[in-house]
Amino acid sequence: MALKELSSLEKFLGLKKPNKYSTQGDRKVPVLQSNSGPGLVGLVTIATHLTQEAKKPDLLGSSAEERAVVQQWLEYRVTRLDGCAKEDIRTILKDLNTYLEDKVYLAGNHISIADPLMYYGLHHIIMDLAVHEKEKYLNVTRWFDHMQHYPIVRHHLPPVAVLRNRVYTSGHH
Amino acid sequence: MALNLTINSSNPPLGALLTAEHVKGTVSVSVEEGKDNKLRVSEEVQFSDVNSITRYLARVAPSLGLYGSNMLEQTEVDHWLEYSARRVCGQSNLTPALAELDMALALRTFLVGHSLTLADLCVWAALKGSGECQAIMAKTGSFPHVCRWFSFLSSQVPFVSVGNKWATTKMAAGK
Repeated sequence: MALKELSSLEKFLGLKKPNKYSTQGDRKVPVLQSNSGPGLVGLVTIATHLTQEAKKPDLLGSSAEERAVVQQWLEYRVTRLDGCAKEDIRTILKDLNTYLEDKVYLAGNHISIADPLMYYGLHHIIMDLAVHEKEKYLNVTRWFDHMQHYPIVRHHLPPVAVLRNRVYTSGHH
Repeated sequence: MALNLTINSSNPPLGALLTAEHVKGTVSVSVEEGKDNKLRVSEEVQFSDVNSITRYLARVAPSLGLYGSNMLEQTEVDHWLEYSARRVCGQSNLTPALAELDMALALRTFLVGHSLTLADLCVWAALKGSGECQAIMAKTGSFPHVCRWFSFLSSQVPFVSVGNKWATTKMAAGK
């Protein structure tokens, strides 16, 4: 899972030469093999490294504040989202929905590396939502739909059907 | 073939200027200040209506996709051009119009399709040029989706430059 994601991320970043990855331990933590020195361990570490390798530092945030927000969401992805219990999913979606109300991307008005990584992490959850739930978390749905249509992000994942006009308009506000 | 856009500098057509800014890498458009809004295509052909100017500019640069990518999207773009001209520009009591826009933007990042179109340019320009809209959006909590969409577009490059250069003149003229 994480390995497919990393090769999609390489394409998104425009890296031509694919890297070799392996996994470590029971939780299948990804490891990037390097020719010189020890391998890099962990999704966030590798993703940050690939972004620098692609010479796209803006994707890690363009100001100190933005960089902190990007790191925060990368950490959120690994600690809260990955392997979260079924009963936590609603809480995650609710929080994310509130957070995204006034934002197009996780870090504000510009795309960052946190967007594709959160998209990959949320995909299986959004896939299982019913139509009315997608509308309940409409800010998440809007961001998700934007990400899956963003050039080169979706890649290895199937598209999720999303309504673009509201159906259940009463009783939400 | 070079296009020549003359604008009314005391009440600049933001939508036409934004569209010109977007297509200038693809077609050559020169902008001059004058008394009336006019796009000169050739000796015989000129457009003076702002929507006609933006439509023409979008159509001569089809690679930019400003007019949508299929017939359905083109119709949606037309809907929003009409909306910006009739429901926002020169109207008073804009609350119902903004409520409708808010509803449409709830599940969308851009008004039509998944990328920028004339619909975004013209509706943004109409909202930017209206003092009442700016006042309504300044109130926190009103029309969150319109506010998000508006500030997202306002942060993008051509919008920043057009906003800085022309919007203040426009607001002054509207008073």
